[in-house]
Amino acid sequence: MHGIAYNEVHDEFYIPTPLSQAILTFRGAANGEEAPIRVIQGPLTQLDEPQRLAIDPVHNEIVIAQDRNVLVFRRDANGNEAPLRKLTGRDLRPYGAAVDTVRNLLVIPSESTGSGPDRGKFLIFDRTASGEAKPLRVIGGDKSMISRFSGPMAVYPPTGKIIAGMRGETGAELATDECFVGVWNITDNGDVPPHYTIGGPKGVLQMVRGVALNAKHKELIVTDKRLNAVLTFYFPEIF
Amino acid sequence: MALRLLSRNRNKGIPVLGLIATIAGFLLLLDRSTLTESARISRSGGQAQLISVQPLSPMLGEMCQWLPASASGSLASALQQERQAARAAGESPTATRRAEVVARKPARMIRDPYAAYSSIAVDPVHDEVVLTDENLFQILVYDRLANTPPRARMTEPKRMLGGMHTKIEFQCGLYIDPTNGDIFAVNNDTVRTLVIFSRSQRGNVPPARELYTPRGTFGIAVHETTEEMYLTLQHDNAVSVFHKYAEKDDAPVRLLQGNRTMLADPHGIVLDTKNKEMFISNYGSHHLKQSTSQEDSREEKANWPNGVQLPGSGRHLPASITVYPLNASGDTPPLRVIQGPKTEMNWPTALAIDVERGELYVANDMGDSILVFSVSASGDVAPLRTLKGPKSLVKNPTGVFLDLKNDELWVANFGNHSATVYKRGASGDTPPLRVIRSGPLNEPSLGIGNPHPVAYDTKREEILVPN
Repeated sequence: MHGIAYNEVHDEFYIPTPLSQAILTFRGAANGEEAPIRVIQGPLTQLDEPQRLAIDPVHNEIVIAQDRNVLVFRRDANGNEAPLRKLTGRDLRPYGAAVDTVRNLLVIPSESTGSGPDRGKFLIFDRTASGEAKPLRVIGGDKSMISRFSGPMAVYPPTGKIIAGMRGETGAELATDECFVGVWNITDNGDVPPHYTIGGPKGVLQMVRGVALNAKHKELIVTDKRLNAVLTFYFPEIF
Repeated sequence: MALRLLSRNRNKGIPVLGLIATIAGFLLLLDRSTLTESARISRSGGQAQLISVQPLSPMLGEMCQWLPASASGSLASALQQERQAARAAGESPTATRRAEVVARKPARMIRDPYAAYSSIAVDPVHDEVVLTDENLFQILVYDRLANTPPRARMTEPKRMLGGMHTKIEFQCGLYIDPTNGDIFAVNNDTVRTLVIFSRSQRGNVPPARELYTPRGTFGIAVHETTEEMYLTLQHDNAVSVFHKYAEKDDAPVRLLQGNRTMLADPHGIVLDTKNKEMFISNYGSHHLKQSTSQEDSREEKANWPNGVQLPGSGRHLPASITVYPLNASGDTPPLRVIQGPKTEMNWPTALAIDVERGELYVANDMGDSILVFSVSASGDVAPLRTLKGPKSLVKNPTGVFLDLKNDELWVANFGNHSATVYKRGASGDTPPLRVIRSGPLNEPSLGIGNPHPVAYDTKREEILVPN
């Protein structure tokens, strides 16, 4: 599984299952071998190896990042249901998604396509963008240190911070000193350096994956594949 | 819940517009069931009637101040605060502050310090048992008769392989070459390389041989007579067959893949060379493939699996064992399928076969059991016998091996840091003959295996970690 999102308002969490092309919704308190309360799956869904997702509890939507597009479903969609919107485009290679409910923005980390350096960028769209809409802003470039995305990213809407893990540019499969978690502002535009990096480069992280935020305790939670571990950093600067 | 969200936001000086949006969203999100309930009460009650009058309880604490009809002054002030907060968030921190953050150590780390055994094989020639460790990324070799005393913390392995040079990571399949003791160890979906070590290698050394594989390899089986090596491919619902001595960029010699194969997230594989059949365990996640164009083709090697999913074709199927002719290729349907509630299968992982007795062994991960079926079983059939229970110590078994020379059954228990040995034919809640542990007795495994996404449950203050 490459994605999960918890929804505090409805106390449920969501998981994409790429091999069965489904989005599963579980009760927040689900435990053991418990069936999902809803399953989005079927020909109308257009789900195609869904990897990562985001929840928008304000507008009641689930945002799915796939290989070549972004699908948006009703939060309580169930069964063989078509998406509300589809964002696509020749240069769109989504590696995740996050919604800024304060600024009404959709952040898509997108991997580069075609030739050139294997480098990613953050595409900032209007939240309701669809079709081949152009991003409002793009964050990326040499100074940005945005290289290869490592896993699901996060946005903290109250401060407009974008938080994402980077693998570095070595292309290493196992581990690399180049990996880190970086913090950018959602208002950044162009080749902007990260405002903070934590856990690296040349830090404790060996192959960072996903990130999550604990606003109450001002903490950043990070998974690391090579450490096979979950690390928690005190990181009040995000909040 | 909404109050908690708002309270937290207010403390953090959240912009008013954000609060309004949150409140509006919450009101819009009122459950259909809630609305239905309100409507039902309204219908049953007919017109509104005065039923009783009760005094309000005395008020404690301060009362909110009434806002004037026009709150534009307050709103402007709030908007000003929002702009200030936005400006502050956009300011760049000093170099000193950035250096301080980059050097910050984690406050906590969740990590299992002990090996978690995932797959297992016995080298009967050298009287050794080999285990892969999916937690600390090692291959561990023990004396076959090792037995961890109950009071001991663990048993030290005779030899171990591990470290960056080995390319070992999340290993899930294992094969020992009976002719020379070579170790074939399968990396799962984070490393697209099959690593082969000679028996004499140890420590952090490069593999003696590498083979670049499709992604998501899991199970391995080798037909020694034909010198063919079979690998299951989770993501592509396929079986790739390579020459046993293939290396680097060598292409597979055969591919079993297609919408009629009924392969659905295949894991374990075992060969019945006597009856010329191949058995595959399937977790059940299924999708159809669509024909590929040149643009979509991921590899140009012969017999390389098609990785392009047909959108919207996914299904969750019950777990199964599918059986094929040993030399099956292309879109060949199974000869037989073992599937259904009587089978008790729940994430059937590794497989082993007893050709003499005609029995198929299944490591039933989520069932905490070893299931034994007849090799001719078909349909929704109950196992011939089951090894399961607290005395058996079988917990999340992901590896199973039959040592026919010594008449023993071995199980790798991912869930409790142990490998357990039984007499062949053991059933019920039978205690093991011997136990090899990598950690203290009764210390449960954390079960972390390739953590990727993570979420925080604010209601329960819990970290959710899919693997």
